Amino acid sequence: MSLLEVHDIHTYYGKIHALKGISLTVEKGEIVTLIGGNGAGKTTTLNTISGITPAAEGYIIFEGKDITRAPAHQIVSFGVIQSPEGRKIFTRLTVRENLEMGAFIRKDLAKIARDMEYVFHRFPRLKERINQLGGTLSGGEQQMLAIGRALMASPHLLLLDEPSMGLAPMLVEEIFNVIQYLNGESGTTILLVEQNATKALEIAARGYVLQSGYITHRGTGAELQHDPTIIEAYLGGH
Amino acid sequence: MLKSIPIAGRLRFGNDPVQTFLYMAGGALLLFFAFIAVRNTLTGAYGIDDFLQGIVLGLAQGSIYALIALGYTLVYGVLMMINFAHSEVFMGGAYIGFFAINAFHESGFLAENTLVALLITMAIGMLASVILAVLLERIAYRPLRNAPRLVPLITAIGASITLQQIFLRLFGGGTRSYPVVSLCIGGTLQGTTCEGGIDIMQGRYQVEVFGGEIVIRPLYFVIFFIALILMAALWFFVQRTKVGKAMRAVAEDKNTAALMGVNVDRVIVLTFVLGALMAGAAAVLFALYNRQVSPFMGFTPGVKAFTAAVLGGIGNVPGAMAGGVLLGVIESAAPQMLGLPSQLEDVVAFGVLVLILIFRPTGIFGEVLAKKKA
Amino acid sequence: MVRNTTRNFLVVMAVLALLIVPAMAQDEGTVVVEAGDPVVIGVAAVISGEGLAPLGEDIVRGVELALDERGTVTVGDVEFEVTIDVQDDLCSAEGGQAVANYYVSNPQIVGIVGPTCSSACRGAGPILDSAGYIMISASCTNPALAADFVSFNRTAPNDDAQGVEDAIFIYDYLGITKLATIHDGSPYGEGLVTNVAAAFEELGGEVVAQDAVTVGDTDFRSTLNTIAAAGPELIFFGGFPAEAARLAEQRADAGLSEVPFMGADGLYSPELINLGGAAVEGVYMSTPAPAVSDALSEFVAAYEEKYGFAPTAAFHSYSHDAVLMYLDAIEAVGEIDADGNLVIDRAALAEYIANYGAEEPVVGLSGLLSCNGDGECAQGGIGFFQVQDGEIVRLETMSMELE
Ligand SMILES: Nc1ncnc2c1ncn2[C@@H]1O[C@H](COP(=O)(O)OP(=O)(O)OP(=O)(O)O)[C@@H](O)[C@H]1O
Ligand SMILES: [Mg+2]
Repeated sequence: MSLLEVHDIHTYYGKIHALKGISLTVEKGEIVTLIGGNGAGKTTTLNTISGITPAAEGYIIFEGKDITRAPAHQIVSFGVIQSPEGRKIFTRLTVRENLEMGAFIRKDLAKIARDMEYVFHRFPRLKERINQLGGTLSGGEQQMLAIGRALMASPHLLLLDEPSMGLAPMLVEEIFNVIQYLNGESGTTILLVEQNATKALEIAARGYVLQSGYITHRGTGAELQHDPTIIEAYLGGH
Repeated sequence: MLKSIPIAGRLRFGNDPVQTFLYMAGGALLLFFAFIAVRNTLTGAYGIDDFLQGIVLGLAQGSIYALIALGYTLVYGVLMMINFAHSEVFMGGAYIGFFAINAFHESGFLAENTLVALLITMAIGMLASVILAVLLERIAYRPLRNAPRLVPLITAIGASITLQQIFLRLFGGGTRSYPVVSLCIGGTLQGTTCEGGIDIMQGRYQVEVFGGEIVIRPLYFVIFFIALILMAALWFFVQRTKVGKAMRAVAEDKNTAALMGVNVDRVIVLTFVLGALMAGAAAVLFALYNRQVSPFMGFTPGVKAFTAAVLGGIGNVPGAMAGGVLLGVIESAAPQMLGLPSQLEDVVAFGVLVLILIFRPTGIFGEVLAKKKA
Repeated sequence: MVRNTTRNFLVVMAVLALLIVPAMAQDEGTVVVEAGDPVVIGVAAVISGEGLAPLGEDIVRGVELALDERGTVTVGDVEFEVTIDVQDDLCSAEGGQAVANYYVSNPQIVGIVGPTCSSACRGAGPILDSAGYIMISASCTNPALAADFVSFNRTAPNDDAQGVEDAIFIYDYLGITKLATIHDGSPYGEGLVTNVAAAFEELGGEVVAQDAVTVGDTDFRSTLNTIAAAGPELIFFGGFPAEAARLAEQRADAGLSEVPFMGADGLYSPELINLGGAAVEGVYMSTPAPAVSDALSEFVAAYEEKYGFAPTAAFHSYSHDAVLMYLDAIEAVGEIDADGNLVIDRAALAEYIANYGAEEPVVGLSGLLSCNGDGECAQGGIGFFQVQDGEIVRLETMSMELE
């Protein structure tokens, strides 16, 4: 049984039919990536899994539970944690408070403290700015905070929406290192949405390509990396 | 905390002539006020004693405004909505509190065990306000959560009128009076006088100051300190507890807060509950102080408290507190200082609001952050 | 098709005719009461609002008791029952407009008893004037109303009379020379206070402070504080019980607890004591007060028996008399037409009321009624009262009692 099984979901924004039958699976311990152009429906897919924009049709099974109609906060408590597109850190909360919000659903104070130490260990910059308001951090620091915040929830499944967006190449590198580290070291399962398809496919076990609300291709990271149509459309090949 | 938006942002136009004009007009008005105040002081028409009297009176009234203002500011901060029915949440607390205190009065419990009876009355008033606010949120506002912003605003006005009318039909249009309560501390109550102690509810003391005489009631300070304690508790709750943090997170971004596992609906209800707790406490204090309650009593304090919230920077908790006390003091001291008929006290109060918004469009405590982002 | 259109057109015309003919038959200027139907008199009174309901309800009760005494009119040999249609005037100009519009849209309304407050009378005036309806108020005492509106009549003495008498009472009877006045911004309160202040200065007294409060405000301490600085010996308030009770109570917070407080008919209600309790002890008030008579005592006894409590204001005898004026007027100007319907010409009715008792005063419950052609019908005097031990007690004064 897959950790996450998304079956033929349809999602609407009012009359706009954003997802037109998406099916995908994520196995425990995998990095799965979701690539596609602007407006393809990647964010919507993650938000539908997270319960922010519930599916009108289809179903989503996580760890054997049907979470299709569960409210967003409950899905979080099942261990599905999303780090949303555009970081969405709380600008009026301090760095520490942002991280504490990440651990909102958890009660084990000792473990929370340990996880916070771990986040600070990974991102020492955050520790230096622990009492600074989130809004005053730089873009890169905000992204570190966003990932750190997601880690604080001790996810069973981590949904990352464009973690490298808008970052300098150096930082992009670092972010991808962290993602790989999380997956390798602590065995976190990750569903990664990326514009940077090349890098995403490099580290992903499997990938899905989304276009206009449909899945057009699927395969292992390596297969997709070498698929000419994908190279043409998404990997900037000539 | 929370977000503050420049409600009167349109008063500020960058470096264009309109803004310059407003600055100059505001400055001229300030100078004019200062001139009259100085003149009245020099001619002896207005003395320091009058000023002190104005301040103590304003402190009591202003603390009540501040407590009510918190309800407006909390809900605004979280929902970006002006809860016009908050004045009726206040009224409901005072009105239901009346039934409690009246029953205690008639059974003699109030006389026997005054402090306990007063505390229970306050708890009942707060509870009544909370029930009203929760119903309001559930019935009137939640179904409209995703509607355009004007819709809940108009609904709020409708809810305000509806609540007034419900109380009117249920309990009649007449005014009711809280009983006169004496609470004698450190002495014994002989009839209505507190022998050897101070009556913190009814006591009045003539105090000589600066060649004048002013009347001080311990009640003014009781109200002020209760308000202060409640506000400090609220401040602590919002700033230091986990739920308070969640509340600030919801205020900033509901979807992301939900992604942290926060039950957004519950936090919104909690916001209404906190505002109502403050309003209910304010209501009972208000009714013990001014004694009369009626279905229409919420309107004036409601408008004043809303003004106080804007004055302090709406969405900002310390701002609401400061705005309330400031408004109370201005309202009670300014008309006399300026030699105006007190019917104009509202004009003065709103004049000050306009002045402050000219120079600080986001209110006294309005965050500069909001301006930067805009 | 053509036939159909023609038929439809005819049907429409017929329906219109059916609607228009009765409307035309019922001339605007007349009231037609069909045989067997009751005569309807409108009663506009404040029956909601802070501390005001007891005033309006007193007026309604006066009307009900008048109809208990004399519930029918007889024109020719035909007897018609008389009923009332009570509406809330809200003691405001808007409320007065609303009730006036309500009544003029009902051609069965012969006339109106009320409204209660001068603001509402002022609101109703223009509407009733243009519709040819009339009102007889038991309590709108603002002096200008009579001259301003043809439709306006009153059975209570106006505030000119009351203001002068109040000033005499304060200056001569209480021996006070420094007066502070406060009004509530209503036409009644402001007019009354202006009259009292003018008359008081004429007598030789000094008005040391004048201020006003906003209805519905609860904290008047800063107002009183300002007034205290002027050192008045008495505070006269033109307004109603709710604000009066607060002012009287908050006097103490401004160091004015020893300074007496006085108001007029607006305060004459047990409501003042309900609201103010011990704080209104010693408060003075004047009110149009009929000379004590057997008829009045019997009336008050009937009031207490019917409602189970003492009158809640001073207006019941005036509204009672207003009803009698209507009944007399209907009997005098009403006619029975060929179908046995009662036809009342509004102009004739207004004319009759305007000159009611002009030749020879009519003995009413509130005193002698004799209208001056302009709507002033009261000949009754002013009485003075004080709250003593939680009761409103009439004071023996030199107040003139016009017989
Ligand atoms: N709140 C919304 N209301 C209406 N339409 C929306 C909304 N959010 C997204 N859409 C539409 O749904 C479609 C899918 O959008 P989505 O944000 O999922 O795309 P995406 O693949 O994440 O794109 P990007 O790479 O630009 O982030 C788009 O056509 C978009 O315009
Ligand atoms: Mg996206």
